[in-house]
Amino acid sequence: MTYFRATDPFPLESADHTKLHEFYARLGQGTLATTKCAGCGTAAWPPRGFCPECGADTFDWVELSAEGTVHAFTVQETGLPAGFEGPRVFAIVKVDGHRVFSILVDADPVKLAVGQKVRLAPLRVADDPKGNARWLPAFRPA
Amino acid sequence: MRKVALVGAGVSKFGVRKATYRDLIWEAGKACFDSVPGVKPKDVEGLVVGSVMPERTAFQSHISSLAAEALGIRPSALSARTEHMCASGTVGIRYAYAFIAAGLADLVMVLGVEKLNQPTGDEAILNMGTGVDREWEAAFGLTAPPCFALAAQRHMAEYGTTEEQLALVGVKNHTHAAKNPNAHFNKGATLDQVLCSRMISTPLRLFMCSPITDGAAAVILAGEERARALTDKPVWIRGTGQALDGFQLTSLHEDYAHWPAMKRAAQAAYKMAGIGPHDVDLAEVHDCFAIAELIAYEELGFCHKGEAGPFVAEGRSDYGGDIVVNPRGGLIGCGHPLGATGVAQAAEVFVQLRGEAGARQVDDAAIGLTHNNSGMGEHVVMLYGREAR
Repeated sequence: MTYFRATDPFPLESADHTKLHEFYARLGQGTLATTKCAGCGTAAWPPRGFCPECGADTFDWVELSAEGTVHAFTVQETGLPAGFEGPRVFAIVKVDGHRVFSILVDADPVKLAVGQKVRLAPLRVADDPKGNARWLPAFRPA
Repeated sequence: MRKVALVGAGVSKFGVRKATYRDLIWEAGKACFDSVPGVKPKDVEGLVVGSVMPERTAFQSHISSLAAEALGIRPSALSARTEHMCASGTVGIRYAYAFIAAGLADLVMVLGVEKLNQPTGDEAILNMGTGVDREWEAAFGLTAPPCFALAAQRHMAEYGTTEEQLALVGVKNHTHAAKNPNAHFNKGATLDQVLCSRMISTPLRLFMCSPITDGAAAVILAGEERARALTDKPVWIRGTGQALDGFQLTSLHEDYAHWPAMKRAAQAAYKMAGIGPHDVDLAEVHDCFAIAELIAYEELGFCHKGEAGPFVAEGRSDYGGDIVVNPRGGLIGCGHPLGATGVAQAAEVFVQLRGEAGARQVDDAAIGLTHNNSGMGEHVVMLYGREAR
């Protein structure tokens, strides 16, 4: 046996693996969605399967805006994990009042500023072991 | 509740070690037993091991039993592992403290151990991503540096904190580490070296960050009678507090320069001890990044909110100042072998309050504080005293 890496850094997103698969299915079609509690109507970010406000575990999917503003960001130049390359722009993006953690793609770090408008840019990452496409909710400057 | 004291402490050499996980346990265990001649491994009734990711780095779980067997301990009252990311060691000390205070055990070892530098450098960093949310954060490649970078940016924007003030934390802690033979780094650092070191995540440069380090540390805790019988210089646990704001970055205080959970943890510990921040002679704080030490000055009450930059620049957190912060060199100088860090902080307070810290001794140290965090929103504070009350 030769040395091998055995880590999949991405979530398992299909219906076989997560109750939140709808989030990823919608993301693959270009929209950002989250859960709204069926009990008390609280919209959460990130999506969640249990409501700490009222204790319900049923929820509806609601669509969020595809546009947001940069609340904070940092550019990581070195020291990134295996499989990830720098420079990488990590950001908190405000979307419909929610703080969304993400990365900014196609962004020139020198021109970036807090308050800047950004748009959802679903990022396709490695397929899962069964060959299903996987997506993460990234953003790019608007 | 019964009074509880530290009666022994020891640490391994920290660094990129040519040593296995078990080698590190042996080193810290031996150093700890050597510090308290009246205790043999067979006397120890309980063992708590703080360790974060041996499943990834040593491909090993079932840690407490492994460590007990390695050291010849046969637990009869308590055997457990604690995992709370970077605060695992102090969380372990709290468990041991509670067991002894409640009368469920009388003599307990807490050991922290981590072997981080394997199998390869970039995988070691990948492993660190297990400490943030896999689905919503780590999948993007997030590890700790960008989180603390966001706090540094807010502190700079809000209070005018400068890059030089951040760098001075690195200078101080590297300088302290040069007097600690067990530290990862022993060469010290100048302001120019820190300011010219490579950028990790804006605005945090390499020498403002703790490195990936292998290491272990151990302490032995005892109930009051046992403690007085074992040593003339027990170091008493006077207070403890723990508080959490949240796990994900987006659950924390909207302004990342404010860490209210640290303040709540500290206030609980001060109240229990019946003392305040100005009674503390030395503090081992969790400077995983320079900004964390600056915010710790404020949230622990050593200075007012927003004044941490001038506080370090005026030397008030160094020898000759108001309080000595991180005399052993902190996480920046000693390295940060996750589970070992909180225990190594306690071990430093142990030697300082006994007057056994040699070249880095804080004059007449009577009260010591340790602060351990696991992210910006989760904090544990301990207060130790030379006197029981």
